[in-house]
Formats: sequence, structure tokens, C-alpha cells
Amino acid sequence: MTTHELEELLMRQPVSLLHRLARGRISRHFRSGKRKLVDLLLQASAENRPGLESDLQTLIDQHIQPPKPAPVEKTRPVPSPPREAVRATSRPHRTEEHGHHEPPVSLHEWLSGIGVPPPQPFVPDAWQVDALAKLAETDVVVSVPTGSGKTYVAIEATARAMRENRTVIYTSPLKALSNTKFTEFSRVFGPGQVGILTGDRREHAQAPLLIMTTEILRNLLYDAAGGEIDVRLDTLGLVIMDESQYLADPERGVVWEETLIFCPSQARLLLLSASIGNPQDIADWLTAIRPTPCSLIRHTKRSVPLRAGYLHPNEKLTPLFRTAGIPYGQPHLLHPEAKRLFMEYEEETGPSRSR
Amino acid sequence: MPPSIHPVDLVATLRQRNLTPAIIFLTSRRACDEAMQSFERSQVTLPKAQQEQIARVLSQVTEQFPSIAEHPLIETVQRIGVAAHHAGHLPSWKIAVEELMRTGSLDAVFATTTLAAGVDFPARTVVVTQSSIRKARDFTDLTASEIQQLAGRAGRRGKDLVGFAVITPSPYIDLTVLTKGLTGQPEAIHSQFVISYPMVLNLLKAHPREQIQSILAKSFAQFQLNQRTAVLETKLDGLRAEMEPFGPRVCSDWITQWQVFEQARKRKKPRSPFARQESPDVAARLHFLTPGRVVGLTRGRGIILRQYRSKGQHAPMVTLLREGGSLNECPASIVTQVFDRTFDCEETSAYPWCTPQTLDQLTHQLTDLPPRLPVLPILTHQHEEVPIDSSIIQTLGDFACPTCPSRQACQRDFPRASRVRQEIQRHIKSIQALQTSLWHRFQERIDVLERFGYLNANAQLTADGEWARLIRIDHSLLITELIRAEAFGAIDPPLLAAIMASIAHDDDRPGSFPRGSTGLVTLLFQVRKLAESLAPHEAPPMLRADVAALTERWVADQTLTWIGLARLTTMAEGDMFRLFARTIEFLSQLKTLKSTHPSLAESADHAIAAMRRGVLEELP
Repeated sequence: MTTHELEELLMRQPVSLLHRLARGRISRHFRSGKRKLVDLLLQASAENRPGLESDLQTLIDQHIQPPKPAPVEKTRPVPSPPREAVRATSRPHRTEEHGHHEPPVSLHEWLSGIGVPPPQPFVPDAWQVDALAKLAETDVVVSVPTGSGKTYVAIEATARAMRENRTVIYTSPLKALSNTKFTEFSRVFGPGQVGILTGDRREHAQAPLLIMTTEILRNLLYDAAGGEIDVRLDTLGLVIMDESQYLADPERGVVWEETLIFCPSQARLLLLSASIGNPQDIADWLTAIRPTPCSLIRHTKRSVPLRAGYLHPNEKLTPLFRTAGIPYGQPHLLHPEAKRLFMEYEEETGPSRSR
Repeated sequence: MPPSIHPVDLVATLRQRNLTPAIIFLTSRRACDEAMQSFERSQVTLPKAQQEQIARVLSQVTEQFPSIAEHPLIETVQRIGVAAHHAGHLPSWKIAVEELMRTGSLDAVFATTTLAAGVDFPARTVVVTQSSIRKARDFTDLTASEIQQLAGRAGRRGKDLVGFAVITPSPYIDLTVLTKGLTGQPEAIHSQFVISYPMVLNLLKAHPREQIQSILAKSFAQFQLNQRTAVLETKLDGLRAEMEPFGPRVCSDWITQWQVFEQARKRKKPRSPFARQESPDVAARLHFLTPGRVVGLTRGRGIILRQYRSKGQHAPMVTLLREGGSLNECPASIVTQVFDRTFDCEETSAYPWCTPQTLDQLTHQLTDLPPRLPVLPILTHQHEEVPIDSSIIQTLGDFACPTCPSRQACQRDFPRASRVRQEIQRHIKSIQALQTSLWHRFQERIDVLERFGYLNANAQLTADGEWARLIRIDHSLLITELIRAEAFGAIDPPLLAAIMASIAHDDDRPGSFPRGSTGLVTLLFQVRKLAESLAPHEAPPMLRADVAALTERWVADQTLTWIGLARLTTMAEGDMFRLFARTIEFLSQLKTLKSTHPSLAESADHAIAAMRRGVLEELP
């Protein structure tokens, strides 16, 4: 067989077969698409072309005769390389050795439990209670997954500060978000109680709860430091910074830092952030630069459990992982069906990372 | 099979599996719009009750934002219960879609990943079709935090028992990125502290220069630098412990002492190994004696097959192919001339040092050579003796080392000790750099501001600095310099707004735009020149003439409606809105200069008033 013929033959094979062929020949072969895989196979076997050809032949034969044990024995060509045969039969055992004794979750199981929870009286989560209790004593950094109910903490903390006749400033990174919060808080506290400050427009600028973008607060603080005293900063009791993970924004992150550095020391800080890797660093930093210590409220458990699925372009839906929930820290626990479908997909659309 | 699932089928599948409402993240705005278009042709219609609910919610939102009433997508949204939500839409429309989603009236929303940041917008299911996003013209893989932000939209508290994140492949997907992102830890965040000109001015306004360093020390940037410092310091402690046995001996700083002594001793009788045994002309020739080179010998000519050094004396040697085909190993000095002629020589690692074919070829080529060959002129460097520093020679007699009792120990420990000492010094230097880097950057900014006259020599604000500190936006140096150059002398509001728009706009999306007036073009040319001259100190803005012209139209022609303006350009409405909102923000900064630049502030005020109409008036 010439190289060209071999290449064509390889191109005609399904990707799964190529991957089996690549085992032990190419490292990290699962990363490459079909075209690449064929090239790599040809390269890797430059020294031992006959070996590749015979292995390929065996695999093709097995492929044509699906793994009914008896016929495979019969139709196998005479010089069958025992290596491949051993591999083929030992495959099911191997997966068991890796410790997945539990069968992968079924689609039915995975889909079960969809629905609306029965209405129940609102009971704050432990972390929410904890955050509010801590806020009475210290600054607080909250780092919890999206949708855990950070707004509840913000509202309760605001209500408490307002009862003590303190001003509250609530900052958000985006004007759009400021507007949403303005509507939401106006509903909660009453329209006259909530003000909004943007670059050029002010509404209820003397209200006890002021919503603004972080840039505006930074400017207020700079003006105050420059001698233009703003009354609102004197009675300021609480500063809530939503989406504080913006601290790491390449362009605007510096504004969060400036604001936190110059935030008046008599005001409590409440930083609400999505899950980040190092919230303790932020709490430690704030403890280091502010007179009041800063506590961290952190948890990673979502209040509504999450399941991951895979939807094939032919509308077939399967779970993505072997388990119904997300197997944290174990990205390789893919559902065999999802894995097979995705391989099929890659095979038909060509290498995925050919951009 | 299609490269990815058809949007209509996707929504149908989600509906069938009871996985709605869903947010479907697509790669681009265009993909979202195309998905919506594909629904326009489809036959699906919602049940009456849901259609009515959508209409009800929309009419509520329309009360607040009248501009939605004529939105072209309303009919489709109402019929099929699917909407698109991306940055190309007007904020009011986005609010309407968010409200529809919140009330659970929609089945699906097509969105770009920008939605993930910030908008409170949950659903039962999110569908992810990509593993990378476009960041600054380049595609980068989604980070674990970003993937979790996307997936975080799935599962509404109080409305869902479980949330679903469904991955459906598209041509540019890498499943491992997504599975790792879903199961992994979010990334740690890092400070992005940059020192801007307004920051310097504002800090120096409130604090004397001496205090600045302690203020910078309070930044998260410094906190994280200190963490790195701490790591270095533990390493330093380790090194210091390693240094302990090398403490003071007979002389307190024996390492330096020994180093100098060694240097002096080496200078006195320099030990240069074999270089000295070669005459300068042989040394110069050596570079040319490469395999294949034709050389002249005292008798006849030869071709070099290899060059090497003899085992004992390290004398330079060559293997020569002589006329007649004999192979000789000779000292390099046998070569008298180097000819300007080389043949191809396929080298091998063993005798005869080239392949047999080459050897045959070379033998023939050698006999066929013409009698006269050009000789390579080779410059010989006369080896110059470096004069020994006379002071060292003089003091060499003063060294106590040769007779010192700890000489042996010094000699033994010196290499290790000096290495450890170097490491220690290196660490100390990097720790110092980490501790002072922010301050150095701050000082650089001070220097620039001083040169431009915003600060005096004592780093106090000058009269110009006093007002310049109020301009706290990007490209502040360009704007303040423009003001000082009186580029805005008695400027018309439309022109001022146009220039501010071109400074504020930082998107390079192409499109077609109206043309600007001649006045605008001339002024923009001047602004560009100034921006270029400031480039070493501040990255110049894009200064696009087209967006400037668009803004000029909007401000100058008060009868122009938003729809009319949108017809003049291919720019998306959402982008237009953002451009104007940002321009207004820039103009309102100019408005704060009322006391020092009254006419400019007034012009800015007029420009803002002229810009705020129609859609721009709706939002606070």
C-alpha cells in the first residue's frame, strides 16, 4: 500500500476507529480532529508502516463485523495481532477498574424533578443570616454563585441602615443594572426613598438610598477629598458594591480599587460578588487597609441544583456527565452517550479547533 | 447533519422536554438576529393565553418607554414567544425582554455572552453553543468563571427545582473547555490597577506627595504584590539559612575578599587553555576550515573533511582529502591558503567523515579544479594582552589569603557561597522592585504632568491642574490639552458633541455613516494631530470621523427623529445609544468646568440638552 492509498483508506474510516488506532502511537490524540489525526498517524508510523496497516485491517474487520463475540473469532484474518484483540476484549473491564461502578444516569432520571417548587414561606439561607449578622460588626465580602440571593442581603442591610437614619450607597458596574435596581428598590422601599445618580442626571439625589455606578461614587469621594464636602458622605452608613468581581476588569477595575481605598471609614462595606477563586484575598486586603475588619461569606453550593446536558444536532438529548449533578473536580466523567455523540459530531464536521 | 442544531428545532426540543424558559447563548449578535429571522418563517404559534400575557407585559413596559411601541420585533415575539437580547438593541427593548423573561412569558431568548455579566435574567435552562468568545478581535476560551456565570442563569430560585445547562455543539466548540469550566473552580482575580492622569491630579490635590506612597500601598495591586513579596521573602529566608555556614571568617567579608584575590591571581598568570598555543593566523583561519572547503597546502591542494582538536594538547587538527584520494589527519597549521571555494559535503560521524558518494564526488572535484583559485583574504587579529589593573597588581602582595589559616575553607566554599550570595541579592532586588513599582509608575505620571504644566516642581497643582483634575474620563490628557490649546474656543454645540463622540467611541465595528461638515473635518484633523503628539504619554483614541458625523447630525438637526437617524447609518441602535450616552457622559465632565471655562461649559450644556431627546430621554 502506498502512503497515498493508506491516507485515503484512513480518511474513509470513522474517527473513533482512528482514535483506537492512535492509542499508544500518538500522545494526546483525543485533542486532534480527523485530518490532523490521519497526518499524525502517518507520521508516527513512518518507521513501522506494516504494523499500522495490519492493525488498521484488524480494526476495519472488527468494525464491519460488530462485536458479536463468536463471529469475530471466525472472521478474524489469520495473522491477527493479539495486541488489538486483547485490547478490544479488555475494554469493558478497564472502565470498571477506573471505579465507575455506578451505571451512568439515564435521561429519564436526569430530566426528573423538573418543575416549580411548592410555594413556601421565605426563609433566608444560613449564609444570608450569617452575612447580615456579620455586617453588624464588620465589613463583609460575599462570594456566592449567581442566583443565590445576594439581593436579599442587600435589601435587608439597606433597611437596617435606613432605620438607623444612615445613608446607603449602592453601586453597580453598569448603568443598565443601576436602572433595574432603581426600579426594584423603588418597589421595595417606596419611590421617594430611592435615588439614582448617573453622569448627568440625578433623581431624588437626597434620598436615603442612592444608586449609582461605581465611577460616580469614585468621583464623589475624590471631590470630598479635594475639599468639596458632600453632606451625604457624612451620614453614610453603608456602601454596597454589587458585582465586585469587576475589581479584575482590565479597564475599569481600578475604579473599584480607588473607591474601596477612599471609602469613608465610618461606613460599612458590603461587597457582593459572583464566585471567584480568591475572595479571601479581598477580605484580607480590606481588613488590612480599613479600621474595621472584614469577614468573608463564601459558599459554592447553588441554591437551585444544576444539571448539565448535551443536545446533539439531531435533537437527541443526553446527560453530559455520568452523574445527574455536576461532578465537581472530575471533568472526565462524561456520559458515554454524550461522548459518543460528540465524537460522531467532530468526525462529521472536521477538526473542531481549526480556526 | 447540519453543523449545529436549527434554532427552531432547538426551541421545539426544549419545549417538548419541558426545559423552557431558556436562554440560548450564541456567538454573535448576527447569529441572534438570524435565529429570530428563522422563526419568522416558521409556523409555530403560541397559545392564545400566552400571547395575551406577552401583550400585557409589553404594554406595561411601553407605558414607561414609549419607544418600544413601534419596535419591529414585537409581532414575532408575541406570536412565537421567543426574543433576542444583545448589545445591538436599545436599552428600553432589552428591559422589555428582561421583564418578559422575569414574568415567565417567553419560552426562549437568544443572547450573546455579554448578557452573562450583570443583567438579572434567570431561566430554567441555559444553552451554550460555544467554548470561546471574541475578545479584542481574537477568540479566547471561556474561563471557568465565565462558564459558571453563564450556567448560573439556569434555575430560578423559587420557580425551579432544578436548573439545566445544555451544551449543543457548533463548529467551533471544544467540549473539554466547557466540561472543565463546569466542574472546575473559578479563577482567582488579579488587580488591574493603572495609574491615570486624573488619579494623580486628584490624589495630589488632597494629599502632599509624601503621603502618596502610603496611599498606593493601600491598593489591592500592592496587596497582591505583597503576596508575591512574601513568597520571595520565604525563599530569601531559606537562602539566608543556607548562607549561615559562610559567615565571617578571618576576614569579615571573606567572599568578596576571596573573589578579588582570585581575580588578581588570575590576572597575574592568566590560564587560558589552548588558545595561546595557536598562532594568530591559524586561529583566524580555523573558522574557515569547514567540511567541503578547498585549501592550499605547502604542496598541492586538499579538501577539508572535518575539523577537530587533538586529544592531548587540544591542538587544532583537520582531516584532509588530498589530491590522489588519500585521507590525512594533519595539524591545522599545515593549511597555507584558504580558497574561496566549498563543495557540498554530506558529513557522517565516523571515518571517512562523509558518505562514500560524497568522498567519490569530492575526489573528482578536487582533480577537476582549475589551476588558479581565488584566495580568501583572512584578517589576523593580533592577540592583545589586556593590561592588568595596576592597582590590583600592587595590592596583590597585600592579600593575606595565601598565608591565611582559613584559605582552604575559603577556596572550597567560595563557589557555593558566592552563588548563594548572588541569589540573595537578586531576591532583594526583586522585592524592592515589587514594593516600589507602583510608586515609580506614579512618579512617571507626575513627571509628564509637570512637563505639561499641570503640576509645579513641588508636585502641587497649578491653575491648569486645578480644573484638569475634574476631567475624570479616558483620554483625559487629550481633552485637557485640547481645552488648553483653545481648540474649543467658541465652538458650536454640535461640533463639540461630535469631537467628544469621536474621542469616546472605542469600537471598531465598521459601518456606513453620514458625512461630516467641513468644520468638523478640519477640527478633527487638528485633534488627530494633537492625539498623535501625545501618543507617548497616552494611547490615542480612535477618533473616527464617521461616528463624529453621526453625532453632529443628531445634535445639529433637532427635527431628526431616532428612526430617521438610524436610517442614515448601518450602526446598530444599541451601539448608537451607547455612543450618545457615553458622549453625554464626556460632555457632562466638560460642564463641570463652569467656573474656569464658562463658554465651553455652556456649549457642553447646550449639546447635552440637544442630545437628550427621543429615545435618549427615556432612561434616567
